[in-house]
Amino acid sequence: MKLKLANKILTANERIAEGNRKSFDDRGIFVINLISSPGAGKTTLLETTIRDLGDEVNLGVIEGDIMGTDDAERIDRLGVPVVQINTGGACHLDASMISDVLDELPLDSIRLLFIENVGNLVCPAEFKLGEDIKVVILSLTEGHDKPLKYPIIFQESKALLISKIDLKPFLDVDVEKIKRDARSLNPSLEIFEVSSKTGEGIQQWAKWIKTLIS
Amino acid sequence: MHELSIAESLLDVALENCKSKGFSQIGSIKLLIGKASGVMPDALLFGFNALKEGTIADKAALEIQEVPVTGHCNDCRKDFTTEEIYILNCPHCGGVSCTLLTGRELMITEMEVF
Repeated sequence: MKLKLANKILTANERIAEGNRKSFDDRGIFVINLISSPGAGKTTLLETTIRDLGDEVNLGVIEGDIMGTDDAERIDRLGVPVVQINTGGACHLDASMISDVLDELPLDSIRLLFIENVGNLVCPAEFKLGEDIKVVILSLTEGHDKPLKYPIIFQESKALLISKIDLKPFLDVDVEKIKRDARSLNPSLEIFEVSSKTGEGIQQWAKWIKTLIS
Repeated sequence: MHELSIAESLLDVALENCKSKGFSQIGSIKLLIGKASGVMPDALLFGFNALKEGTIADKAALEIQEVPVTGHCNDCRKDFTTEEIYILNCPHCGGVSCTLLTGRELMITEMEVF
């Protein structure tokens, strides 16, 4: 007997992500999933963003790493509520890891939650966590060929931060190509050139975040 | 990517549908997999065959139909098909404002049950 179906293989992860989404929506929390290769500057950018926005916006952070608590300690030193997830081997955060730690954050007093994903330009693109938007960081030192090599994350993201822009004079990297290729994949991508070291571009980035949560 | 967890979900959906409709064996499952879905059919098949052992789907064959990536150009208003797994620009006019029409599917369309 043939059964006609039209069932999406809605993965278990997506179901849990929807549950997370509801927990955030019920409390009016805006959630940003921060994704990049290892070493692109996610944590440093978070520190810089916290220094810029921390007085105006109630922030919270979930840190994701395979092992270690360095990142959470750095955020904690800035006085922002933070919880560290260690995946123990998984190359990306998933929705169940997020739902398991929600109790450890003072959600009722958080307006903007950053989730710093495991350093990886591939897998995090495919695992929803319940976030509002994904933001991808590509550091200048990674080269201008990366958007076309990793199309999915650039298509899935709302914004691209080209980080370590202070190193431009020392590198043969075509920043315009990065922007052109990224916009070809995703015409509505917001692009910011930033340096956590010099502060370049940080105000524009922070201003844009504020428009998302106002 | 991570086809094993997708195979697990696929198996769950298939078993649930089979049992809830009162059947006791799955003969085959037809799937649509979009070329831009990020799922590799071979890897999915491998994972499914490993997981189906000992379930009422243990004799089930997966029939996979791949869906090509098609898009609509918001500039010249024409539709197009591409061999790539993503849309960069319109092959008719070169425009970069395109909407994906098909290619992200991941669904079960039919099951043969007993």
